[in-house]
Amino acid sequence: MASWSRRMLVAHCVVALSGLAVSISACKKSGGDEGGPIKIGVPVPLSGDSASAGQDILAGAKVAAAEINEAGGIKGRKIEIVEADDACTPQQSAQAAQKLVNSGVVAAAGGYCSGAAVPAAPIFGRANVPFVLDASTNPVLTDDGQGKVFRTCGRDDRQGEFAAKFIVDTLHAKRVAILHDNTTYAKGLAEAAAASIKKNGQAEVAYLDALTSGQSDYTPVLTKIAGLKPDVLYFTGYFAEAGLLLKQRKQLGLTFQMVGGDATTDASALRTAGDTAEGFIATTAPLPTTLPSAADFVRRYKAMNNGGEPGPFSAYEYDAIKVLAKAIDKGGTTDLIKTLHGLEEQQGITGSIAFDDKGDRKTLNFIAVTVQGGKYTAYKP
Amino acid sequence: MTDFLQYLVNGLTIGTFLALIALGYSMVYGVLRLINFAHGDVFMVGSFAGLAVLTGASSSAPATTALLIAGAVLAGSLVSGVLGVGIMRIAYAPLLRAPKISLLIGAIGVSFALEEAVKLLTHAGFRSYPHVLPQTMLLSGPVRISYSQVVLVLLALGLMFGLWAFITRTVRGTAMRALAMDSDAARLMGIDVERVVLTTFFIGSVLAGTAGVMYGLYYTQINFAVGFLVGLRAFTAAVLGGIGNMVGAAVAGILIGLVQSFAAGYVSSRWADVIIFGVLIGALVLRPHGLFGERVAERV
Repeated sequence: MASWSRRMLVAHCVVALSGLAVSISACKKSGGDEGGPIKIGVPVPLSGDSASAGQDILAGAKVAAAEINEAGGIKGRKIEIVEADDACTPQQSAQAAQKLVNSGVVAAAGGYCSGAAVPAAPIFGRANVPFVLDASTNPVLTDDGQGKVFRTCGRDDRQGEFAAKFIVDTLHAKRVAILHDNTTYAKGLAEAAAASIKKNGQAEVAYLDALTSGQSDYTPVLTKIAGLKPDVLYFTGYFAEAGLLLKQRKQLGLTFQMVGGDATTDASALRTAGDTAEGFIATTAPLPTTLPSAADFVRRYKAMNNGGEPGPFSAYEYDAIKVLAKAIDKGGTTDLIKTLHGLEEQQGITGSIAFDDKGDRKTLNFIAVTVQGGKYTAYKP
Repeated sequence: MTDFLQYLVNGLTIGTFLALIALGYSMVYGVLRLINFAHGDVFMVGSFAGLAVLTGASSSAPATTALLIAGAVLAGSLVSGVLGVGIMRIAYAPLLRAPKISLLIGAIGVSFALEEAVKLLTHAGFRSYPHVLPQTMLLSGPVRISYSQVVLVLLALGLMFGLWAFITRTVRGTAMRALAMDSDAARLMGIDVERVVLTTFFIGSVLAGTAGVMYGLYYTQINFAVGFLVGLRAFTAAVLGGIGNMVGAAVAGILIGLVQSFAAGYVSSRWADVIIFGVLIGALVLRPHGLFGERVAERV
């Protein structure tokens, strides 16, 4: 493992040096409020297991930017999307955030893994750059964000409450097993759901533990869970593991209902699971495929991406860029944080958007979706 | 009790993969006294080579599917075999006379180079194998065993038996054993040391590549990093079995698979790695030559 940390050290040095070079060149250029394009940073994972999710988010941002620019930009200035790879790891995320700040972005819109967004938030905060999250749902982000972090997506504690209610009231589960993967997001959601189930008192939490991601073989943990005879297994980790769990649950002939969190609603999980994903349920904020208001966006997204479908968070990223554009149009690029807080309710494609004091969305309803014919559709009991 | 049996079945399946890979670590150590850290990544490259053949395959006609699977296994094993020989010739051969630590560092370098190359080529995301293995069950009572599982385990055992026969029954195999005992004496006896070393790399890498394709077919999901953890566990098995000892590597591979399964089942999946590597440390302290060590540890 020593070699790993050495590699990290080298990476740190390289990024620190390149950051220096960028900041020097940024100093030479003009500041934020003169001519030239308005830069918006998009930090997302473009490598690692979550790379496909990051690509989908970035593509969503590009659709929004293209629309704004075609309509003449903001007061005659174009929007420029600056991408940065956070690789879903805390170290690289901090570097990506610093790189974006150095390159002179007026705002950041992105984030996927909460564990990566947590160290990035204070870096944007110190530079007074608002950070609008489209997919990072851990409560800490806005709770500790000093009002400089915003979200177009929901919060894990609210999703946990919704999931607990859904699993107990709609699926009529008496015994619930909850499995996470020890990441910031998954653990937070698992604990929120468990607390909510316990508080309600109508069902019991039979199991609450983590798997180690990257193992490929989860049959031992599934066998253990099956021995506890739960009615529902709620898996709050990411889609790579969700696909394997679904497949191996079928191999073991287990019959409990599997429910996932919003990070499992990625189409690549269905490719791994194949037809064993049929009937899988996920709790999530509404997906582009279940939102009638997103139809135009989906069409445009497909046209710009060779027919590729948007990911679960592409629409939330689209809305994040649109809200930022609205705020810049109203108040300019300085004091953007204050403008965002004071912004009146906006109609986005994911519903109406306005931020509370912390920066969370005032209204966002969670839904349940299920896999039918290899696609996510709205769940009907 | 049924839980116990299911853990046993799960563990045996994981273990056979580890055993196949552990054999490569053990063989190379036997002839070169080198821990080939790139071996796990040779496994990973084999897995991707198999996927390249299978991409676009659908399970419509059983005959073509079987042919495709055979083609994938062949491609995976050959690509890995050639890769193993190439690594030996390019990266290790010039360092054979250098201190052992240079060779070890070279191996770690090759490992990172392979991982990063595949990471760039595949955009780092994971890739899904097509679902071509039939899902029918041999046993579907309280304990579940699928036909695919049985076939994979039998195939792995067959390969191990083939390797054992090669080492004990053929001239080249005997030469390998002679080299493992004393390479200078073997050279004096007229053995073409370089060819035997290359054969060892080829066979070890072919086994890893085959395991890679089997792994992909069975779990249907791979990425550039898959060789790291699997390789580390297989290496643990090789050491536990008494590195250099073939039977030891195979048995310890299956043992590590069982430890992983039981640890995840009876303790927690989070603790599996702690327990696996704890077993390794315990074995090294109590039996430094490994389970099958004795003095045979010096032989292939």
